[in-house]
Amino acid sequence: MTAAILTNNLTKQYGTLTALGNLDLQVRQGSIFGLLGPNGAGKTTLIRILTTLMRQSSGEAFIEGNDTRSRGRDIRCLIGVVPQENSLDRYLTARENLELHARLHKMDAARYRQRIDELMELMGLAGRQHDFPDTFSGGMQRRLVVARALVHQPRVLFLDEPTTGLDPQSRRSVWEYIRSIAGSMTIFLTTHYLEEAELLCDRIAIMDHGRLIAQGTTQELKARLSGDTLYEIEFDGETERYAALLKNMACIRSITVKGAVVNVGLEHWECLSEVVSALNGAPVRRISLRERTLEEVFISLTGAGVRQ
Amino acid sequence: MKLQGALAIWRRDMLVLRRSVLSEMVAVVAYPLTIYLAFGIGMKSYIGLVEGVPYSLFIAPGLITMTAVNAAYSESVWSLWFHRRVQFTIESYRVTPVSVSEIVVAKIFSGFTHGLVKALTVALVIFAITPFRFAPEHLLGYLAFLIPGSAFFSCAGVICGTIMDKPETIGKVEAVFIMPLIFMSGLFFPLSSYPEKVIPWIRALPTTALFEGARQALVKGSFSAMFVLQIAGMALITFVAAVWIFRLKMSD
Ligand SMILES: Nc1ncnc2c1ncn2[C@@H]1O[C@H](COP(=O)(O)OP(=O)(O)O)[C@@H](O)[C@H]1O
Ligand SMILES: [Mg+2]
Repeated sequence: MTAAILTNNLTKQYGTLTALGNLDLQVRQGSIFGLLGPNGAGKTTLIRILTTLMRQSSGEAFIEGNDTRSRGRDIRCLIGVVPQENSLDRYLTARENLELHARLHKMDAARYRQRIDELMELMGLAGRQHDFPDTFSGGMQRRLVVARALVHQPRVLFLDEPTTGLDPQSRRSVWEYIRSIAGSMTIFLTTHYLEEAELLCDRIAIMDHGRLIAQGTTQELKARLSGDTLYEIEFDGETERYAALLKNMACIRSITVKGAVVNVGLEHWECLSEVVSALNGAPVRRISLRERTLEEVFISLTGAGVRQ
Repeated sequence: MKLQGALAIWRRDMLVLRRSVLSEMVAVVAYPLTIYLAFGIGMKSYIGLVEGVPYSLFIAPGLITMTAVNAAYSESVWSLWFHRRVQFTIESYRVTPVSVSEIVVAKIFSGFTHGLVKALTVALVIFAITPFRFAPEHLLGYLAFLIPGSAFFSCAGVICGTIMDKPETIGKVEAVFIMPLIFMSGLFFPLSSYPEKVIPWIRALPTTALFEGARQALVKGSFSAMFVLQIAGMALITFVAAVWIFRLKMSD
């Protein structure tokens, strides 16, 4: 099966700045792929090349087997695009925005009318379809852009930071709509919200400074981090004393103290029983396994937090 | 080139024009009408006949032509800038199967249509308030100027709206190039008012062919094929340039 998206050595220079450097990426058909990276990582640049808005400096990229350099028109028939900035026409009503898009895709009226009805319903905009988009909330505008990208039933949908700038509630509703449209279509989304990638995507790639630094499922990425396992131990007093005791144990790789809570990183999970015996008689209120967050994965890979 | 996509974009622009047609027309008529009343009627008795016709008749064709080219230019330049830099709608067109050429052709036709529609409105108003009547063949001759003239200015607007990213630059170009070009080419006075030495230079301006030729066609019924060819040639050149420049801009 051809990959939905394939890039080989894809590079883009802006003058001397390398916005994308030798990027190799493969996205399976029908999957939801998340590209995670801080601002300036090169996410938008990659989407612009894949959606034929911009040419790469070198390397190649294919959408369902079509070369971005020579088969632009074929690619544009296959894709739907939700750009980082809403590109709605504020002089057209919500519905007219979608109708124009349908005509640009050469759909005939009988077909697009029905399709637009469905999409308006699906995106929860049916009641507002004859209003102008600048009267919409941020979340509704975003959903309208998503609806517009879906009018012609694309095979690959690109979403560039679909929820940036939205309040948590609208963000959640956009997530729900994205999940509801996933299926046979390939979805490629970029984000700098770890939660978003984790929640929506089958596979995640992390990039920074134009380079891919990791790729895999959320589980794989988290597992890559930890040869060690993190536990949280909460004490009811004498925290310092027990922390000092734990610090001297051979199988403990790392230890941090925060108030009454001590975080310990174990060499491997078998050490846990050793720790438990060492704490015999101590006022332990709770011992719990701590899940790695994607943020920690990110920090360990890029050496810094997410630049917002 | 298939024009289905261009047609869809042009129809969008016409829908938007239709929606605001009343306020647009009031705004469009106000300016030439003010000039017409102030100069054509207010100063009529001081000026008397110019080239053998009353002054109000002398300036009427120029005011209509001015409306056409101004409207064509403004619509194109602002629309291109707005859709490119503010709304990013051009980008939303560009991720569909329509070609870049179709987009620019649509925009040129929209500006052109704005020019013709607005000029027609001003013409109707001027005809309504004056006793002058023109023979149909004079009107046809006049249209032969107005059409390529609007096309020329629409293409020029598209070029400016494609290369200029800042609205202040657009305003400056309008003040420094477009308005002088219009006013210097015999809108309010005959070319013979210029000093002998300057006349060949003024004659070389594309707007002179347009304003002079259009007036002679409408007022006197004398049709200068030379002027028409000149303005049509300019329209063709700027059309090719506009398409080329827009494509270039979109590919970087
Ligand atoms: N048109 C451009 N000209 C020059 N530099 C650019 C241009 N677009 C983006 N960049 C630079 O390329 C880098 C990647 O930008 P971008 O792809 O927008 O990142 P992201 O979408 O991940 O925030 C940034 O350093 C940005 O400043
Ligand atoms: Mg971006």
